[in-house]
This record gives sequence, structure tokens and C-alpha cells, in this order.
Amino acid sequence: MLSRPVRGIFRVMRGVPLGLLVMQAVLAPACAAERERAAILAQLCAEDGKDVLNGLRDIAEEAPQDAAWGLRVVEAFSAKRLRCAADGGTFLVLPEAMLNARSLLPVQIDDTSLRAPLPSLRARVVLDQTAAALRLFVATRPQTRLDAVATLARHPETLPPGLLDAALVAERNPNVAAALRALAVKSGLHAPEPMRRLAAIASLAADATSGTITELSALRADPSYTADRSIAAALDAALSNARSQVRIGAGLSLLYNGISAGSVLFMSSVGLAIIFGLMGVINLAQGELIMIGAYTTFCVQGLLQALAPAWIDWYPVLAVPVVFVVTAMVGIGIEALVIRHLYRRPLMTLLATWSISLLLTNLVRVAFGTQNLQFLTPSYLTGGMHVIGDFLVTWNHLFAICAAVAAFIAAFALLRLTDLGLFIRAVTQNRAMAGCVGISTRRIDMLAFGFGAGLAGLGGLALSPIYNVNPTMGSGFIIDSFMVVVLGGVGSLAGTALASLGVGLVNVEFEPFYGAVAAKVIALLLIILIIQWRPEGLIAARGRR
Amino acid sequence: MRRPSDRAAWAGIGTLVLLLVALPLAGLGWVPGTALPIYAINLIGQVMCLSLLAIAVDLIWGGAGVLSLGHGLFFAFGGYLCAMHLLRTAYAATHELPDFLQFMGHGGFPSWWRLADGAVTTTLAVLLLPALLAFVFGYVSFRSRVNGVYFSIITQALTYTAMLMMFRNDTGFGGNNGMTGFHAIAGLPAGGLPATVLLASLATAAVLLALVLGRAILASRFGRLLAAIRDDEPRLRFLGYDTLWIKLAAWCLSASIAAIAGALYVPQVGIINPSLLDPSLSLEVAIWVTVGGRGGLLGAVLGAALVNLLKFWLTAAAPALWPFVLSLLGLLVVLALPNGLLDLRNRSRDWIVDLARAPLPLLRRRTVR
Repeated sequence: MLSRPVRGIFRVMRGVPLGLLVMQAVLAPACAAERERAAILAQLCAEDGKDVLNGLRDIAEEAPQDAAWGLRVVEAFSAKRLRCAADGGTFLVLPEAMLNARSLLPVQIDDTSLRAPLPSLRARVVLDQTAAALRLFVATRPQTRLDAVATLARHPETLPPGLLDAALVAERNPNVAAALRALAVKSGLHAPEPMRRLAAIASLAADATSGTITELSALRADPSYTADRSIAAALDAALSNARSQVRIGAGLSLLYNGISAGSVLFMSSVGLAIIFGLMGVINLAQGELIMIGAYTTFCVQGLLQALAPAWIDWYPVLAVPVVFVVTAMVGIGIEALVIRHLYRRPLMTLLATWSISLLLTNLVRVAFGTQNLQFLTPSYLTGGMHVIGDFLVTWNHLFAICAAVAAFIAAFALLRLTDLGLFIRAVTQNRAMAGCVGISTRRIDMLAFGFGAGLAGLGGLALSPIYNVNPTMGSGFIIDSFMVVVLGGVGSLAGTALASLGVGLVNVEFEPFYGAVAAKVIALLLIILIIQWRPEGLIAARGRR
Repeated sequence: MRRPSDRAAWAGIGTLVLLLVALPLAGLGWVPGTALPIYAINLIGQVMCLSLLAIAVDLIWGGAGVLSLGHGLFFAFGGYLCAMHLLRTAYAATHELPDFLQFMGHGGFPSWWRLADGAVTTTLAVLLLPALLAFVFGYVSFRSRVNGVYFSIITQALTYTAMLMMFRNDTGFGGNNGMTGFHAIAGLPAGGLPATVLLASLATAAVLLALVLGRAILASRFGRLLAAIRDDEPRLRFLGYDTLWIKLAAWCLSASIAAIAGALYVPQVGIINPSLLDPSLSLEVAIWVTVGGRGGLLGAVLGAALVNLLKFWLTAAAPALWPFVLSLLGLLVVLALPNGLLDLRNRSRDWIVDLARAPLPLLRRRTVR
């Protein structure tokens, strides 16, 4: 490990242009470094191939301290631009200038009388490795450093012991750091010293995936590797550790997937629940509102692409208000044109809203075609964060979860904190009485329907990175949404959230064992059973209807 | 409740009787110069089956106010039972295993398929098994007083789940492709003229029977209790009636009728697959009933026949147009003519004037159920 100030220097070094680094290398060297450089250069100039190799090894070992200088020399050496004078002076003959190899200061000499040492074939390999090791400290572009790690990974056994640790300390880019860590473990696993092997096995097991288990099992089965008792024991311990981690990771990822499925369900059913609680009406076109939300998102994406390509990565955020307004307007239109007139005939609203859903599906089919829409996935929604075992927190699912939480908060705030919410709750509890005290129940119905539709549209937006978006997507989860509403209780936000999580978890937990269909069947049976016990749903809204 | 007047009912029943007589006469060419094309006979048979399904839905919806959005389940149940019987008889004749069993790697039929060997056991199964399923589901739902929109949604979820199950190959009924390859129907070669005429006549007779019996039931004391449940179930309960069993009886009867319709439908179309379990079929049935008019069973037949004839014609003439027509028809009927076509006569004679003035105020003027 390096001391804090040294680490600080590396932090400064990164991002400083090469010229400055050279200046630093010129001004900074203490006498010790000066002596090291002289010794190394003498070895490189030696006639004996072994000395050359040793010199390169020394450069690699000194890499953390004097990387910029080392890289200049190594690059010059491999380009046959190193010159050795008989009196021990060494020079770099670069196209633009001649430099003193020790100080990298310009000099004026006649290079015709100087010897140009040729790197041997063996030395070439070591040269490449050394250059890669030095680039870890010097290169400013992360991709160059990644390439350097890949070069080093070709011969992990030749790495000097402290090199990767030092590089890791200085490394700021997470991708390069991860590659470095993997390389450190790899070189440790096959290191000749048992202590390093043990350390590598332990660090491998500390952050295990199912790939680790395969790797460790392969080593465990190799009799030459496990000749040492302590290594065999360490492998066994590491394997059991890794297995338990993978098991925990599998459990967590089931939970995570369940929660994300539940979030999707919540987004699709929260509007349904509010409307059902308020008007006793089930909107069978709710799924189509979700579909319209997704299609509006697609249109926003297309518009941005055409008008402001610089903003394209932020289309899911920019689409939020557009989607909400568009779907809310569609919802208000449906309420004003159709549902308002069926107010006393809830069964008929089923037929009417189903007709609307059929109409909307086919309108979209005619306008956009039947194929799945291709969404651009913004960079911040790709990939994820590795947690434990094979459990990966994927950003796109996290996006859906966050959207659901935001929708919950928005709905809660609207219902509890605003006048409109107060009126909605009043109408839900007792419509006639609410009308008597002067609430315009018709207006409240319309606004609540618009709000529910807008939430469904946002659900469509949140789904667009996860689901296939096509005109018939609405019918896919409409039944699940109903089950959620029936299970959660009429018009209860908390009940809807609870039931969505429950149905989402049941669907996801049972899927690996019995298949998706059986999971649906089990969810349905559970719902029918729970309704036996609580006919009003898990959390029944107070009120009279 | 407003039922079609007796005159309309007699007209409907008379038409059906005429059809029943005319089908074998004209179909088999016994009366010279009247030979109907086999396609038309098949079409009449199919429409009759769908009408029977509509009667089943109307019996429970118009009768007891319980809207089922899952009658496709019982329809398909009957259909699958019938298809099993037909496949067993085909196997007995040809000793060729159906494709879907070979595909799943079975050497023969699973042993319990033998139950579908006999025509009598199959008929009993069609009558009883769907009713049993309806009983279990209806018992748990009605007992916990699940009703109205809630009940409709749960029936739809049940049908949807059944569809997902049947789509799987492992369930053992042909999965996505369904079951086909029926060899003979009651000894007559499938698809031939005699079998087609026989099936169409059977379906017509079934509709006639269901219409007459159903109307008798609705007019009886039991039917009046159903109407009371529809209009105010809590009050009937307070009067001391156990509405659970009254509703259950009507519900199971309705499921049985739907199953018969399915059992007659499948040999006519020659295939059964899970698309019958698609919730949209069950919803469409409710639209047919609404188009014709609920509560008198005659409207169900009328609506089913009209909408389906329109569908057959349009899906051949302009397939892309059909979903639009269906959805607009549904909206129009629900908004402007909630009591169906049969209600037209009861409306004031100037309904056309009303309709021209504005379709929407029209609804507020009349009391609707």
C-alpha cells in the first residue's frame, strides 16, 4: 500500500497533460530516483539479454513512482530509438528532438557513433507488458487503461506483486477498477506463493457469482492445484461461502423482480382503483391508456430525435408531463362522452369501456402498425449495479420501481393534501351527501378519471424500457390489474399498493418452480380464497355505496 | 321487467320451428329446387350455437342481474369434452393417434380419456362437469356476496387463466393448436352434408328448447325470485329467502346451457383451440345480448344471430373493418339503445326524431334497468 501523500500525487497526475508530467518528472526527481534511473538505463544498455529483462522488470516495479519517465523510455526502446554511448550516457532519439534519457532534457549530440540496442524476442513480450503496466498510471483515457489491463491479463504470472494494488489505489474509473481487481485475483490464483493463492481465493469468494463457483470447482477438481492441504481447505471454504452468497443473491433478485413486477402492476392499477372506488366503474380500457402512454413516450422520443438530438437521452424524463396530459385528456374524453351517461349502470360500463379499448387498440394499430416499438435505451437505464451473488440491480427495473413510488406519493398527496383530493374522498364515501354540501360530483368524477388515466399513461412510460410495446399490450396486464383492485379493496391506495406487491411477488416467486401460467393460476386462487375471508378486499374503504 | 311481448315471442319461436323443419328438407334436397349450399347450413348451425350461448348469458344476466364475462369458459369446456369424444371415436375407427399426442411423445391416449368413449357418458359430462365447475366457483363467490362488477371481473379472470392454461402443451389438450381431425359425427362422415344438417338441426332444436324452457322458468315462481334478486337482492334476503341457492341454481343451469352450445359448436367448426377462452369472446356475447335486448331470451337469440351474421359477412368482405364496427356497435347500443333492439317497439314512435335530435339525451328520458 502507498502512503496518503503518494496517493495524492497519483490523483494529481491523472488528467495532467503529458508535457506537464514530463516537467514534473524533470523537476521532482530526488537523488534516489535519479540513481534508479541511471541503474535501469545501464541495464537496458547492457549487452546481456538478462540484464535487459531485469531492467524492464525494474521499470515495472518502479512504475508507480516514475511511470511517465518509464513509459517514455520503454516506448523509445521498443521503437528502437534508445541510444547508448560508450561513456554510459543514454539518449532518446525522437523525431522532434534528442533527449537525455535520464532527465528527458533536450541535448545536442551526434548520434551516429551511438549504439542502438535491439530488444530481443523475449524482451519484446516483456516490453509490451511493461508498457501496459506503465500506461495504467499514465494514460488519461479510461479505454487505454482498459486495453492495458487486457494486455497484462495475457501473462498474469509475470506481474510484479505491488503493481496492481498501486494501480487500484490511483484508479478512479469503476470499470477499469473492476477489471484491475479481476486481474489481481487472476494473477493471485496462479501465483507460485501459496499465501498469494490463498489471498486470491479469499477475495474471489468475498464477491462471488455463479461464475466464481464454476471457476473454484474447476480448481478444486485439479489435483495438482490442491496438493497443498491449506489450499484445498481454503477452496472448500470459499466454495461454500460462494454458494451461500449466490443463494442469497438469488433470493434477493427474486424479491427485486417481484417488487419491480409489483410496481408495474401498481402503476397500471392505481388509476383503476381510484376510479372504481369513486364511481363504482371499472374501466376496461385502462390497459389501452397504458398503451397510449407508451406510444406517446415513443412520439416524444421521435420528436426529440428530429428537433433536439442533444436532449434525446432525457426523453423518459421530458415525456412525463406530455404523457400525463395526453392520457389524462383521453381519459377525460372517455368520461365525458361515455361513462358519464352510464353512471347508474355499472355493468354497462364494462361493455362500453371494452368497446373503447377495442377501438383504441385498432386505431393505434392502423396508425402505427402491429410491430413492437423500438425504444432507445438511455445510457443511465442500461446495465445495473452488482450487489451480491448473481443479483444485479438493473437500472431499468429500478426506474419502474421509482416511478411507482413517485406515482404512489403523487396520488397520496393529491388525495390527502389538495382540495380536489378532499372532494374525491368525500364523493367516494357518500356521493349524495357530497353533492348536498355543494361539491360538483360530475366535475370531480371527470377530474378523478383524468387523473387516473394520467397515472396509467405514466405507467406506460415506466414500462417502455421493460415491456414489448405494441397495440395489444394493454390486454396483457389488464386482468392482473383487476385482480389487484379486487384484492386490495375498493378505492384504497394502500390496499392497491399492498395487493400489487403481493400479486407481483406471487407471480414472480412461483414462476421458476411451476411456470408463468401456474403462477397466474395460484395468484387467482389465492385471490378467490382471500375474498372468502375479506370480501371487501384487504383494506376496505369506508363509505356507503 | 319488460319482456318481449308474447306476440314477438311466438314470432320468434315460430321462426325457429320453421327453420327446424326447413333445414332437413331443404338441406338434404328432399324438396326439389330448394337445396341449400352446405356452407349456409353450417353457418346457420354455428349461429344457432352462438345464440344458445347468448341465451345462457341472458338467463343469468337478464334474469338475475349477474353479468358473466366468463361464459366462454363453460362454452369451451363443453367444446373440449365433445372434441375428446370425437377424437376417441376417430381413434377407434382409424387407430391413428392425434398429432398433438404424438408431438408430446405419448404412445396412446391417457387412460382417463376412456371416459369420453361413450356418447352417453360424454353427454352427461357436458351437462354436469361445467355445471360442477360453475357450482364451485359460484358457491365461493355468491357466498361471500361478491356481485356486480366485482363478480364480472372475477369470471373474466377465471376464463383468462383457463386460456393461459390451455395454451400450454403440457396441459394435454393440444395447446395452442387445439384439437382437430374429427373423423365421424354420430356415424356420419364429418364435414359431409348429412352430418352438417344433423348438427345444424340439433343446434336449432336446442335453441328452441332453451328458449321455451327458459321463458317458462323465467315466468315461474323461481323466475320471479330471480327477478327480485336482480332488482333488490338485500330486500329479498331480509324477506327470508336464501338468495345464494336461487342464484346458484340459475348460474349452474346457465353454465350447462353454455356447455351444450360449445359441444354442438365444436364439431361444426371442426376444431377447438384456446381462442374460445379469450375474454373478448365472453365480452362479445354480452354485446350480442345487449344488442338484442336482455331479459326475455328472445333478444339474446336475435342479437347473437344479427351480430354474428354481420361478423361473418364483414370478416369476409372487409376484415380490417370488423373491430371498428363491433366497437362502435357496442358503444352505440350501450349509449343509445340500452334495452336492445326488441325495445324499439316500446319506445315512442318518434324515436327517430329523438335520435336525430341528439343521441345522448335520449337515454336520460327513459328509465333503464
